[in-house]
Amino acid sequence: MAGLNDDAQWIVMMGFVISFSFFFLAMILNQSTVVGQTTAESVLDFPKNDIRDVRSVIINSSEIGDPDYVHNDIVNISLFRKNAVVNYSCNPTGCTKPYTISIHYNNGVTAYNETYTSP
Amino acid sequence: MVNDNGQLYTIEGVAASMIMLFTIYLVLGATSVYTPGDAHISDMQLEQTGTDALRMMNTPKNGSAGTSPLQDIINDLSPNTFTPIAPATNAFDPTNPFNIMFMNYVNNKTGNEMDDLHYTANVTYYDISKKTTGSLLLASNRNLSGGEHPVRVTEWVIIDKPVPGDGTRTQPRAVLVEVLLWRD
Repeated sequence: MAGLNDDAQWIVMMGFVISFSFFFLAMILNQSTVVGQTTAESVLDFPKNDIRDVRSVIINSSEIGDPDYVHNDIVNISLFRKNAVVNYSCNPTGCTKPYTISIHYNNGVTAYNETYTSP
Repeated sequence: MVNDNGQLYTIEGVAASMIMLFTIYLVLGATSVYTPGDAHISDMQLEQTGTDALRMMNTPKNGSAGTSPLQDIINDLSPNTFTPIAPATNAFDPTNPFNIMFMNYVNNKTGNEMDDLHYTANVTYYDISKKTTGSLLLASNRNLSGGEHPVRVTEWVIIDKPVPGDGTRTQPRAVLVEVLLWRD
């Protein structure tokens, strides 16, 4: 280091400090924008509306005696169009009041099981 | 001999260039994820609006027993009790009952101006004889060209009319109303 001019060391150090602070600010800015994306994605991925829909149609169909064709439609269309395995059964068969329905929903990520009791 | 003056300056130069490269990399990364993140947030809201509209259409009038407007619309796709439901002949007609009701619900905003959402609605049924699902066009106000970014909203409906593949069986059937909804 012989002959090296050691003036202005403070200025050099401040330069380092400022450049590091820019670096960290950029890192924070980078992270902040992904936050909205992941939140919205997790809301969209969770099948809240699918579960509410299928639950409501199952309860509606139990009101008209759980017809076989409707049962078949609900199971098959859920599988083909929503990639969800849905199964349910009425106890006693034919949904004579008072009855309970055990509802099962699974789309591979979210599983939902419920035992519904008729009023 | 190599001159060894200015070694600290060289190291500082290298360090500064590294920092600048990293900073540029992070800043560029920040701007490119902004757009998809934004789109997901509005998708979420559009999906909620559409689901709510369909839910309202599938509520019986007066909130009591009886058929809902959506059930009536799908039952009307078949001319009589023994004919399977068919694609709507007036799917692109603005006076189509589905179009009037759905647009009324999703396009309403505070104030006089209406929103301008586009949609394509299909009815999906399960064909027992072919053991597969099929779709019928119910209503639409814009053709899908492939460039849109739609969200899908659905609603289950129990109908009294047969579906294709049923012949003249008259048991109640469950069908799925699927609506692709987008804004452009």
